[in-house]
Amino acid sequence: MKHDKIGTQVKLPMGRAVQIAVQGIRIRLGRSMVTVSGVVLGIAFLMSNVAGQLISDALSRERETRQIVTLMEALVRNEVGTAAGKTLAVTVHGDLERTERLFMERVAKMPFAAVRVSGANIDRGVSATPQNVAEGAYLLLVLGQQQNIPVDLETLISGMNHVGVLDAVANRTYAGQAPRAGVKRDLLFGKETQEQMERMREHAAQARFRTVWVAIISLLVTIISISNALLMSVTERIREIGTMKCLGALSAFIRRMFLIESAFIGFAGSLAGMVLGALIPLIIYGWIFGFGLMFGEISFVRFGVACLGCVVVGTLLAMIAAIYPANFAARMVPASALRSNV
Amino acid sequence: MAFERELFFKDADAAARSGYVIRAVDVRKVYRMGDTETHALRGATVDIIRGEYLSIMGPSGSGKSTLFNMIGGLDKPTAGKVYIDQVDIAQLDPFELAWLRCRKVGYIFQSYNLIQVMSCIENVMLPMAFAGLDGEESREKALMILERVGLGGRALHKPAEMSGGQQQRVAIARALANTPDILLADEPTANLDLRTGEEIIKLFRTLCDELGVTVITATHDLKMLKTSDRIMWIEDGLISKITTPEEMELHIDEIH
Ligand SMILES: Nc1ncnc2c1ncn2[C@@H]1O[C@H](COP(=O)(O)OP(=O)(O)OP(=O)(O)O)[C@@H](O)[C@H]1O
Ligand SMILES: [Mg+2]
Repeated sequence: MKHDKIGTQVKLPMGRAVQIAVQGIRIRLGRSMVTVSGVVLGIAFLMSNVAGQLISDALSRERETRQIVTLMEALVRNEVGTAAGKTLAVTVHGDLERTERLFMERVAKMPFAAVRVSGANIDRGVSATPQNVAEGAYLLLVLGQQQNIPVDLETLISGMNHVGVLDAVANRTYAGQAPRAGVKRDLLFGKETQEQMERMREHAAQARFRTVWVAIISLLVTIISISNALLMSVTERIREIGTMKCLGALSAFIRRMFLIESAFIGFAGSLAGMVLGALIPLIIYGWIFGFGLMFGEISFVRFGVACLGCVVVGTLLAMIAAIYPANFAARMVPASALRSNV
Repeated sequence: MAFERELFFKDADAAARSGYVIRAVDVRKVYRMGDTETHALRGATVDIIRGEYLSIMGPSGSGKSTLFNMIGGLDKPTAGKVYIDQVDIAQLDPFELAWLRCRKVGYIFQSYNLIQVMSCIENVMLPMAFAGLDGEESREKALMILERVGLGGRALHKPAEMSGGQQQRVAIARALANTPDILLADEPTANLDLRTGEEIIKLFRTLCDELGVTVITATHDLKMLKTSDRIMWIEDGLISKITTPEEMELHIDEIH
């Protein structure tokens, strides 16, 4: 309907809304900080629980990895007796697992007279070709996860002064053929290590479930903490919202103003909460178990996703928590909003 | 129903000719709180002439503030109609209603309703911001209005740092921010000393005479009553009579 004497209120541009919202935060800085700290606490709680889970998970994986490496080392020791005066040969085909890499480092420290290597680099190792790597060696280690290696086993072991082969992969084929019976070939991941690996996988599945569960519970607590903080900060301003409406503010503008304000508060709060919640478990676990143990197996991708997730969740939660009461207040009849006594 | 509507149309035409700026027709307001019902207005009908200075008298609880809310578009009547410039305000969309509250009407609330966290000048600049005015221009204008009400030196103070009378004057300044056509003032001199009160009355009178602003005030201030063009008496939610100040003086003389 058009009325010649009644005009239409201008919609304020987005920039102006941002400006007023920022000004609002600045004006009541003390109160805003209380709201922000509500968000900080909520997100710090969520983040520290998730980060704590990821870290303790990484710690137990690291511990198992080290146990496996120790087992592998024992196998070598068992095979060679004393390393002194003997030559070790290592041939690598395909990608190395972390356990294999750690194992290689350990082996390099054993007092072998010489170490011949193909396909990788080892401290004080002599590099050789895959064909002649085992020449004059007492023990040959076949590492790497490649299913088939291009050299056949007879060629590999010819020239060794003691036939001992330790292989990292159970059903590996040599030049397309399974190793002939009679050639002595032990598995590095023998029965014991295999069992250990199996246990490790089970633990990992359990840990993943625990992480998700802890995240869900913490999220619930966080939702309550954040919505409480924002709900309070908006409802205590219903009178103010009523005044603004009496002075010509559009409901949409009030909604938008609170949306922007809560987004700022939510983002600042969850950023701080995320840093706090990530640092605390990192420092505590690192201090107790040592940082080396902690960072060995930690998944930086998952840790990063958790950090990002916490900030997104915190910001969104704050916006959602503010929009409900702001919407309610914006739609109130101005006269009754003015009388509100929250 | 059809007949009634026709009546209204005729009235609206008549109002346009005679220059009524606000017309309230049989306005009723019932507040419900649980089981109790309060009839704050029981059918108030009043025509307010463009550019007049109207005072509203009535005992506490008689419905003055309620009537202000109705004719200022801050609340919806339970029954009855309010026309501003011949337009039924119940028909306005939110944008038009906001425009009305922002530019057409200036409110001075009984309890001031200043925004506590904002300084005095920011309070005055707020309605300007909603009208799309900002920056230096609005700051200068706000300062000018504050000087007009004698608060030029206190522009940066927060309401909590000011006396009741000073806060009242900030509320007056804010109501004038967008140079409204209609000024609705709920006991604007209640907290002012004699001299400041007189200055405010003079200011209202000037606005009325020079700018053609329609001033409507609820008041118990004798000076205010004498200055006004008409006095409306409200009792128990009903408008009992409308008099001129001269008639009122006769009335008071009779009592004495
Ligand atoms: N929001 C409300 N809810 C319930 N009752 C209300 C509300 N507003 C006003 N009333 C009641 O309506 C009646 C009229 O109130 P109103 O505020 O209009 O009086 P008033 O004439 O302005 O009084 P005063 O001179 O004391 O300001 C009173 O009885 C009051 O209790
Ligand atoms: Mg009142």
